[in-house]
Amino acid sequence: MSTFIDIITIARWELKKSFSMISRDVLPLSIILFILLMIATGFTAQTGLHLQDGMYQVGVDDPQIASLLASDARFSVYLLDAPALNANGNSFDLIVVKGVVFNSGTDKANAAQKTLERDYSKYVSSVYNTENDLFAAYPLWIDTQPVKSELTFLSTQSGQYISAAPRRIAPVPEGEIKIVPTPLPGLEISTEDLRRELVQSNEKNTQISRYTEALSASSSMGTFKTPAQLSPPLPFDSIILVFVFIFPLYFTSQFFMMSIMNERIERKGEILLSTPIRTSSIIIGKALPYFIGMVAICAGLTLYIRASPVIILPLIPVIFFFLANALLIGMLSRSFKELSFISIFFSTVATSYLFFPSIFANVHVISLISPLTLIVLTIQGSAWTITDYLYSTSLFWLTGAVLFYIAARNFKDERLFSEKKLLSRMREFLSEILSQKHPFISLFLLSGFSIPFIFMVQMMCLVLFFNLPMPYSLVFLLLFAALTEETAKGVGIYTIYSRDPAFLTWKNLIFACAATAIGFLVGEKLLLFVTIAQISDSVFGSILFLSLGSLWLPLLLHFVCVLIVACCLKVWGKKGFVPGLVIAMVVHCLYNLYFILGWLG
Amino acid sequence: MKLRHLSIIAKKEFKGLFNERTILLAVLLQLFIALFSSFLMVGLASMYDPSSLSKYSHSRYSIAYSGNESPLLTSLEASSDFRVYQMDLSTAVAALKERKLAAVIFVPDTLPDATDPVKITLYTLQNDLQAAIVDVKLKDIFLKYETDLREIRADRLKEELIGIQIPKAGGGGDFYEFVYGLLIPLLVFMPAIIASALVIDLITEEYQHETLETLVSTPLTFTEIVWGKVLACELLVPVQAGAWLILLMINGIAIQNAGLILVQVIVTSLILILLGTLTALHYRERTAAQFIFSTALVVVILFALALPDNPLNLLTRLAVGTAAGEQWLVLGVTLGIILMLSYATYRYAEKIAKTHQTG
Repeated sequence: MSTFIDIITIARWELKKSFSMISRDVLPLSIILFILLMIATGFTAQTGLHLQDGMYQVGVDDPQIASLLASDARFSVYLLDAPALNANGNSFDLIVVKGVVFNSGTDKANAAQKTLERDYSKYVSSVYNTENDLFAAYPLWIDTQPVKSELTFLSTQSGQYISAAPRRIAPVPEGEIKIVPTPLPGLEISTEDLRRELVQSNEKNTQISRYTEALSASSSMGTFKTPAQLSPPLPFDSIILVFVFIFPLYFTSQFFMMSIMNERIERKGEILLSTPIRTSSIIIGKALPYFIGMVAICAGLTLYIRASPVIILPLIPVIFFFLANALLIGMLSRSFKELSFISIFFSTVATSYLFFPSIFANVHVISLISPLTLIVLTIQGSAWTITDYLYSTSLFWLTGAVLFYIAARNFKDERLFSEKKLLSRMREFLSEILSQKHPFISLFLLSGFSIPFIFMVQMMCLVLFFNLPMPYSLVFLLLFAALTEETAKGVGIYTIYSRDPAFLTWKNLIFACAATAIGFLVGEKLLLFVTIAQISDSVFGSILFLSLGSLWLPLLLHFVCVLIVACCLKVWGKKGFVPGLVIAMVVHCLYNLYFILGWLG
Repeated sequence: MKLRHLSIIAKKEFKGLFNERTILLAVLLQLFIALFSSFLMVGLASMYDPSSLSKYSHSRYSIAYSGNESPLLTSLEASSDFRVYQMDLSTAVAALKERKLAAVIFVPDTLPDATDPVKITLYTLQNDLQAAIVDVKLKDIFLKYETDLREIRADRLKEELIGIQIPKAGGGGDFYEFVYGLLIPLLVFMPAIIASALVIDLITEEYQHETLETLVSTPLTFTEIVWGKVLACELLVPVQAGAWLILLMINGIAIQNAGLILVQVIVTSLILILLGTLTALHYRERTAAQFIFSTALVVVILFALALPDNPLNLLTRLAVGTAAGEQWLVLGVTLGIILMLSYATYRYAEKIAKTHQTG
């Protein structure tokens, strides 16, 4: 009970402090800026974004076509007569003579032609949309009926694509055949409704409206589409979600970060720490107002876009994760510039981690690793299960909790007010959570709990290396995945060694390595079991999370690799750490190559 | 103001930056953004453009055709992407559920010249990447059929179209607009944003760490200190932007007018840095200053983007080589704004310095 009162007291202080800061002529200016922001958004929505204006130069001999093209600001249109155009063909990207487009053959010209193609088809549909006989202009309609596969998506993951090689005879289903009613020939929607939707969807392709309309209600056309509309839904709504939901969270967590940092600079934290209040209460109390504020912002936004309140559920772990990081960053950085750099870096990485998978919300199950996907699904009106929720948020809960724990253990005078370098501070932070009395248990837990972080890092690598051409992407992923794992395993022993080199006798070294290896294995299997099992079967997945099969081999691998690092440390001291990591990485890669790809054998 | 004093301050800031090495994070961040956005583009483009996807799917997809015969059946059978089986609808859908088929098409008995539209029902698997690819491939065939049907019903259309014949596009050019119209301005301009956030940190830090008194007690004046910090941040911009340009060129992206692009970036970034300086001088506290500044930054950038011939657009046009005389006009306007802001900063710093001396 007293803990609860402590927390409330601290939370109240924190609230008062941040309000006194905000009221100091920040509020009036931020209101003005907010109004200006509205005006600027409206203005931009009206005039469009002028980023790509005048990229292409087009020569045209027909004034009608010229005015058609000039409506797209990307074209600089020159109206000349045909002989002049033919003579100066090379100074234009495209020329249009007597209604025929000629392309100068460069990349730029090809890009220009693609833009022109899109513009022209938009123009054509805008004409067709006004036709009295709509079904003469749009004679073909596709009614898209999604079918839920009886097999789980695991089958696609493990490389079994939709029907392997086509055969001569039609495939015969093995299971029971349910009667599918023969579709009726007519469209069940009135012609005028269809026309309105067509006009709208044609306008939607302009730069801004696409973004602003993404959150509004879905089309009333239902499952009917013209062939031109038949493509996977544009993923832009998740960009909007990032802006709408994640940016406010990012801003609020900045305030939390700064509050922690200010405590350190102004040394007010010392007074707080000298009180009998427990550190965990202090941290929870300080974080509470921000947490409530962030949830309130999300709730407000949810109300504003009139979405289901369920949206808040997947956002809570994200908020938790942001706050944990903010706390740690506020405690770690020595100067404002460092704070800025680290926090910008963190938020970009976190945002892209959230954003990237949700693009594929309607396409692929892998998208569920991001909680944003659940939001996209909720807005679309699709349901998701508790398992989905666990799957997409468990990494956030876990990493957030671990970070909070590390921060809580280090929230004391000598850590908060030291001025050491970033890396050595990080090492000190780790050293704090490695118990002196039970070093092996600590190592076991440390390497076990490093797993969710490793998964997050490796997921990001997947995104980054995707850019490279195929063999390289695989090679880099292989190397990097191994390096990440080895670093995570080695870091505990390194911390212990730098705290007390004498501790690392040969006997202790073996025990430490064993503890780390077992911890790593247990953590890996547990998390795989809970969440990642679904993606661990694809080609990339098998590199990242190889070794589901037997337990002895991976354990041996982990042990040998840690042992290499530890021995290097013991023999060469601290400077042996990096070479040790490199050797361990090579060993790890060879193992992976041997077992995944069956090379070397 | 003495130039030597400015350079002393700038040197001090550089030293601090290199000691902390966190500037590396900023560089890494930019690299990350570049890689990430190109991942997005390549990923998206391959989703929407079947021709770039074809390398991922050499196989033919099995699809079932059900219902009445139509010209669509002929063109599906002629396509090298599909193997078509004529099947009963219920059996076909059951096979689809077991992933033995990629799609099922049902065609009704509507006549090509009927008043009603031809409504085809397309059954595909939900939440499946392969299904998305099949959709994209089917789209082409449907579009062709739509054109054929439209021709049959052409006498019922009233409006006359402006005719343009577009030849079949050659390969390449897929990412041109993205690279030149988005990536280059973004990358080249990012250092300016980073520099302006940095100047706020540098100034508020002196206040909050209470190191300002010590600095002012040296022969350096307050105004010189402020301008020294502006100088340090400004110098970082061309270094980073230049590095980007070189990196892009090494990657085979031809950039025209690289020198002029740098000039534009240097000049435009000064506006942001001065805005940051003014905010920092006003609030003398990082949280407030950064909050106000980042909001203001969004407003300024949005507003600038809404104007034709804005500096960011100019970067694009310079890079593709379509910028003409208007670049000098933009440069002139930017310089004018800078002069105004510089004067404001100078006066403000002097004013603060005076209150320091008296108070």
